[in-house]
Amino acid sequence: MIQLAGTALVGILEEALDRHGKSPQAALQVLMSVQRALHHVPDEAVEYLSSRLSLPPVRLRGLVSFYSFLSRTPQGEYVVHLSDNITDQMRGSRKLGDALCERLGVRLGETRSDLRTSVHRTSCIGMADQGPAALVNYRPVTRLDDQRVGLIADLINARVRLEEWPPEFFRVESNIRRSDVIFRKPIEPGAALRASLDRGGKNLEAWEEDLAPTDARRHQLERGGAETLKEIYRAELRGRGGAGFHAGIKWQSVREAARDDRYVLCNADEGEPGAFKDRVLLTDFADMVFEGMTVCGHVVGARKGIVYVRQEYAYLHDHLQGVLERRRARGLLGTNILGSPLDFDIELHFGAGAYICGMETAMIKSIEGRRGIPRRRWPLPVHQGYLKAPTVVNNVETFACAAAISARGGAWFAGIGTPQSTGTRLFCLSGDCERPGTYEYPMGVTIREILRDCGALDAQGIQVGGPSGALINRGDFDRAVCFEDLPGVGAMMVFGPKRDLFDAITNFALFFQHESCGLCTPCRVGTTLLANYVKKFERGVGSPVDIAEVKHISSLMKNMAHCGLGQSASNHLMDSLQKFPHIWESRMKTQEFVPAFDLDWALEEARSLTGRTDPAAHLPARP
Amino acid sequence: MPTFYLDDSEIPFTDGETILEAAMSAGRYIPHLCWRPELEPHSSCRLCTVTINGRPFSSCTQPALKGQKVECDTPALLAMRRAVIQMLFVEGNHHCPCCEKSGACKLQATAYLLGMQDSHFHHRFPVRMRDLSHEGVSLDRDRCIRCEICVRASRALDGKNVFAIHGRGIESNLAVNSPSGLLKGSAISPDDAAVRLCPTGALIAKGRGFESPIGLRAYDREPLSSIELREYQARRAVHD
Ligand SMILES: Cc1cc2nc3c(=O)[nH]c(=O)nc-3n(C[C@H](O)[C@H](O)[C@H](O)COP(=O)(O)O)c2cc1C
Ligand code: SF4
Ligand code: SF4
Ligand code: FES
Repeated sequence: MIQLAGTALVGILEEALDRHGKSPQAALQVLMSVQRALHHVPDEAVEYLSSRLSLPPVRLRGLVSFYSFLSRTPQGEYVVHLSDNITDQMRGSRKLGDALCERLGVRLGETRSDLRTSVHRTSCIGMADQGPAALVNYRPVTRLDDQRVGLIADLINARVRLEEWPPEFFRVESNIRRSDVIFRKPIEPGAALRASLDRGGKNLEAWEEDLAPTDARRHQLERGGAETLKEIYRAELRGRGGAGFHAGIKWQSVREAARDDRYVLCNADEGEPGAFKDRVLLTDFADMVFEGMTVCGHVVGARKGIVYVRQEYAYLHDHLQGVLERRRARGLLGTNILGSPLDFDIELHFGAGAYICGMETAMIKSIEGRRGIPRRRWPLPVHQGYLKAPTVVNNVETFACAAAISARGGAWFAGIGTPQSTGTRLFCLSGDCERPGTYEYPMGVTIREILRDCGALDAQGIQVGGPSGALINRGDFDRAVCFEDLPGVGAMMVFGPKRDLFDAITNFALFFQHESCGLCTPCRVGTTLLANYVKKFERGVGSPVDIAEVKHISSLMKNMAHCGLGQSASNHLMDSLQKFPHIWESRMKTQEFVPAFDLDWALEEARSLTGRTDPAAHLPARP
Repeated sequence: MPTFYLDDSEIPFTDGETILEAAMSAGRYIPHLCWRPELEPHSSCRLCTVTINGRPFSSCTQPALKGQKVECDTPALLAMRRAVIQMLFVEGNHHCPCCEKSGACKLQATAYLLGMQDSHFHHRFPVRMRDLSHEGVSLDRDRCIRCEICVRASRALDGKNVFAIHGRGIESNLAVNSPSGLLKGSAISPDDAAVRLCPTGALIAKGRGFESPIGLRAYDREPLSSIELREYQARRAVHD
């Protein structure tokens, strides 16, 4: 059946199957392994895997076509993904990318004819505090500059193995610039679990005598979970992944669900451009995150947890596995945790490049080995989630907070922050600030205080909470970051006084167009229409009619889109129209409508295909 | 029987029914394209959006609740539905006058129903692969609105698995489950529910062109809404 590389190919495929298993849920993991080994997923591989995984080829091809890091056609043996967030662009990533392509003799998005290398652009890879950054064979290379780019080109041209590249290329800093009560002194591994188990009563004698010891221990376990749930409620812990839903309510629903198979999923997709705090947590506080998941397992009665890690963070695989191994060895994971009847274990699951997979029901589908398309709203994951079982989905930071709460009590946590936003929060500062990195503050901190600490008081604007959040100007700097005022994940991209914010909104509009899953009409079509309007203004031929149209489409998407992506994909445009109207007005040539269609622009494709740049390849400019 | 309010009318419902189903039973038509009574709801076209306390929900998936006040035919919602239909038109290539489905096309009929006068937005003029390889069925992807009715119908009603969606976002497309990716060699047959239920001219059974002349086709003779309401109520009568 396999003709090309014959047994070598089969060997690679079998190895991937051995590593990830042959269940349908393994499909995406297997394909990503194949991609890494062969730099694409050839049709022969799809055919072979289809019979081994008992899934139709069309289903596997569907995965390859959906996830950005999978490709059907060969990419380079050295595949470079340049992070294309606005913060990368602000530090010259586009020029560096061009230089890299030139030195490699390859065009962006195409593979060199000797199959040695290919260079692509990708959405923010979670290194906004140390960009411009790129992934080389899925390993992050940070702080790109002319010199580094030149060296990378030389190393690729000389076919030097990544293991022999200068290790400092791959250095990723946590850049924790400020810590507060939760992360200044992380809890000892096991402390949160022990506290949770102890809440059920410390010794068996206290239990009624007519219970057999195993039953008594089960009751103890049960009561410990119930008591810890009360602490979570007392803490008023709200989700850190975006929506701010109360964790206690979620946990209780799953705890009370009528099925015995329950799951705890940790959302480490962190796809919001400019966000990187989950990367820092997984790097420096993985124990706390896993412990929070295990405490959750105790509370809700789950035996299995899964962390969904974006592919951009797959370089953390060995580190995370190591922490899990250590926890198993210490009796903090596995069966009979800390000698109790509690069984719980954690698996890692990796994405393959799709922002939408951070949306919880899309993430569930992705973990099931499917395309990451959001499900319909009902039933909720707490009733029917992963494999239709009751499922808790929480953000990485939410689990870390839960561990702290179990160890130190709900009242302690509730005493930090504001009445409706308890605890602290991690902020990711990037862009035009002197000290980019991660900052922990109690909830309710003002923007001004953050800007002072990171050295950005001269900022003209900040994108708070990533592109789907809010673009604010100086008038908002005294606002507080908390659920009552400025919510959203803690990503803050700072724009200094000299920046043209139109570059930022252009970047965001293209981001949403690229990341829309395509399920629903308003978002699938709307993100493209909006991106085209932004491009029209970029060319300087916008008009008030077009602005009215942008507002119209935006309101349509807010009201009619199926999920949060489409509903928030135009926030940055609306905010910029309100807070920075001049960036739009300066791009209007006329008060009259000008058609987007222009004969000369229409020739652009022909020009680029034929490589023509000479004047004769252009039509005379419009009068 | 519990009831809820759809605009000003009181609509009875049974437990577990969605707003759309209850409305259809009561003779109130809510425009929809991706919903079919015999299939699991999909909530992708978003035409059926209604608001409850000002918050939007797709009525094809939202369960009816006792006493709830649902707004459906407000001017704002009607305008938004029209815009969604316009989006579907500019996304593809819909040349109604030369389409075999004209007059029996739900997309076209819904556009009429919603009073669409023009396509308003910029046309995208996509070029997607057309598939004429099969002797009995043709697929024109430029007319496909990705409602996935064929995907669901092929699995649930035909007991096959002929279709899937590939790609992402605006580039997503209907894919065919066959070794070559073409209809020829797939399990499709012209009598499949997948073909029959396609609401547009994307999937067409070949060899039946102009069985009835333009002007005398299904929705030329009777409005889409009254046909569908009648069919739905007949279906309910059988199933209850
Ligand atoms: C488009 C989109 C992307 C999202 N991305 C993430 C993400 O990367 N990480 C995350 O924790 N939550 C993300 N969310 C929110 C999740 O859907 C979900 O609310 C969250 O994981 C729940 O955890 P929490 O309650 O602890 O915040 C996203 C939501 C949407 C709509
Ligand atoms: S809003 Fe966008 S991302 Fe969400 S379901 Fe619709 S198309 Fe997909
Ligand atoms: S071919 Fe028809 S039924 Fe299938 S997705 Fe397209 S429009 Fe819907
Ligand atoms: S009919 Fe409800 S979303 Fe399509």
